[in-house]
Amino acid sequence: MGPAPTITIHVPGPLRTYCAGAAQLSISAHTVRAALEDLEWSQSALYRNVCDETGTLRRHLNVFVNADNVRDLDGIDTTLTPGDVLTILPAVSGG
Amino acid sequence: MADRVVLTIGTKKGVFVADATKPRRRFALRGPFGPGVPVYSTLIDTRGTPRLYASSCNPFFGMKILRSTDMGKSFKETKSAPAFPKDDGRALANVWSLEAGGGKKELWCGVEPASLFKSHDGGDSWEMVPGISNHEHARKWQPGNGGLCMHTIMRDGNRVHLGISTGGHYLSEDGGETFKASNQGVGAGFAPDPYPEFGQCVHKIARHDAAPGRLYMQNHGGWADWSGPGGPRPDIGVLRSDDHGRSWRSIAKGLPSDFGFPIVVHPHDADTVYVMPLEPSTRSCPGAAPAVWRSENGGGSWGRLARGLPKKQSYFTVLRDAMDIDRLKAPALYFGTTTGQLWIGREGGEQWNCLFDSLPPIHNVKVAVV
Repeated sequence: MGPAPTITIHVPGPLRTYCAGAAQLSISAHTVRAALEDLEWSQSALYRNVCDETGTLRRHLNVFVNADNVRDLDGIDTTLTPGDVLTILPAVSGG
Repeated sequence: MADRVVLTIGTKKGVFVADATKPRRRFALRGPFGPGVPVYSTLIDTRGTPRLYASSCNPFFGMKILRSTDMGKSFKETKSAPAFPKDDGRALANVWSLEAGGGKKELWCGVEPASLFKSHDGGDSWEMVPGISNHEHARKWQPGNGGLCMHTIMRDGNRVHLGISTGGHYLSEDGGETFKASNQGVGAGFAPDPYPEFGQCVHKIARHDAAPGRLYMQNHGGWADWSGPGGPRPDIGVLRSDDHGRSWRSIAKGLPSDFGFPIVVHPHDADTVYVMPLEPSTRSCPGAAPAVWRSENGGGSWGRLARGLPKKQSYFTVLRDAMDIDRLKAPALYFGTTTGQLWIGREGGEQWNCLFDSLPPIHNVKVAVV
């Protein structure tokens, strides 16, 4: 396996307070799982908002790789390629 | 000098704070604080400079603890919230109780799935209390309709009482190091064995500081007509203990229903206790006419307090932590409803008035005089 591709993580407004106000983060990771593991140590406060204590993606969050929800791909084992944009968004809720 | 009555109101859409001068004629309301998500527990911490705490159950981003150091003009997240160890396998689903511990900054926190956490720094860091969180019963407890929650934490020196739905009452006599199920006489209506060792759906436990051996419990009642295995279990819903919670007996006779959620003790009289009986099926007051019921003899008899409350067509629920009483000479009761009304019962509940009538659904009401 070659060097991990560099990707961009787009951080939604409500979560920017947990990563010093950053709207985007640039990291290197082969998969979404590896990207989340990177966040766990590099942005631990942000990570706690995205994953629970067991490492599971929070139920009411969606993670997209470019335009696709990872739930429609290979989940957090979805592979990443250079230049991918990983977007974290709260699920739509109403009522 | 204490001169203000402060209310914290945990709702479906954040926490509100209301305060008034001692006559309690008019309460000013502030809020909602937090990101508009449910608040199931609040604490008015009167040790030293008063601090207000609120849990914040964010369905998107997880649990937070909010803290106010300016009497509810603003709230900020503490540095962390309780969290299970990574290899535990459980994930925090809600925060159900916040209580002051020993010292000036110790806090205790009961969570869902039922476990206990402790903070030594006013909520900035938390550690799990293994004596109950890893109790041999812990993985056998089952969630009730509200979830598997630890909703009651009561400290009395080295004794610690915990209420768990559905787990029952657990007692520690070594400061919280170890716990034993202590449910002799506490019935369960949803299991073949009417009096199991543990697993009861305890709704709330209360006591008076001056009578620590006397405890009152609102248990999950409403099983008088059960005809299945084990037979009917009338009057298991409202209970009393006189031996620090080792054994319990019914005091439900005279109530229109033994089902309910909150139970509150008068601050100056351990014999005076308040409940709000509900129909077990609808979780609303019998006859759709809300009333708080008071006993002034430790549960020997009960009287109805409803002056000023709606007389008909009222179907709200008052949840387990949504009723409290202040500590003034003539104390006032307060309850919040699932329809967003906050009521005050002056003169110990003799006269009721609606303070606020259009709040979000109310989960939690706490009051203190500061």
